[in-house]
Amino acid sequence: MSGLESYINHTVSIITADGRNFIGTLKGFDQTTNIIIDECHERVFSTTAGIEQIVLGLHIIRGDNIAVIGLIDEAIDSRLDLQNIRGEPLGPVVH
Amino acid sequence: MLPLSLLKTAQSHPMLVELKNGETYNGHLVSCDSWMNINLRDVICTSKDGDRFWRMPECYIRGSTIKYLRIPDEVIDMVKEDSQAKSRNRIEMSKNRNGSGNLPQNPNQRVGRGGARNNIGSRNNLGNRQLIQGSKNRK
Repeated sequence: MSGLESYINHTVSIITADGRNFIGTLKGFDQTTNIIIDECHERVFSTTAGIEQIVLGLHIIRGDNIAVIGLIDEAIDSRLDLQNIRGEPLGPVVH
Repeated sequence: MLPLSLLKTAQSHPMLVELKNGETYNGHLVSCDSWMNINLRDVICTSKDGDRFWRMPECYIRGSTIKYLRIPDEVIDMVKEDSQAKSRNRIEMSKNRNGSGNLPQNPNQRVGRGGARNNIGSRNNLGNRQLIQGSKNRK
């Protein structure tokens, strides 16, 4: 049984091969790690301003492009003050 | 729910497809297959930096070049209806297979297989005739 089964209908954070960070509800996946993310939004990190959240909606992300899928603790995440978090954006995966 | 089932359900809906090279394609999904290869119609292609645009009536995208697809929110609810309808059909079909509803009640009453037993006899007659002809030729 894939470890992703237990993440279904939970909030997850996805880091893609191009270094972007998507947050949303995992609705499904398949054997090539293609995933369905509902109510997806992107968090854009910056060293000069707070984290910008971009609302994107329903997404299918192709498995080739996924680096990490992590389960989000919604209680902790909702307490984050995104406006006051600074961070350098990730670079793309180097092959 | 499988990503490719969702994609199939999204047929005829508008969507945004971003490729690995950063280009995006906006169009209506015409068809897709199990490799995520897709056909779009009424397409607007946008370059990686977003400053150049191309319009095309249709295009075909190889699945392996796709980074992600953005789909209208309401499509996810339509998948549930699809899969429910399918499982209903499956239940109906298994009922028909197990029950005797469409099958003849009497096991001796054969339908559609073979023909009258007499045919076998006539086939033997034909065989004999050929045999006789064969022996004539040999003489």
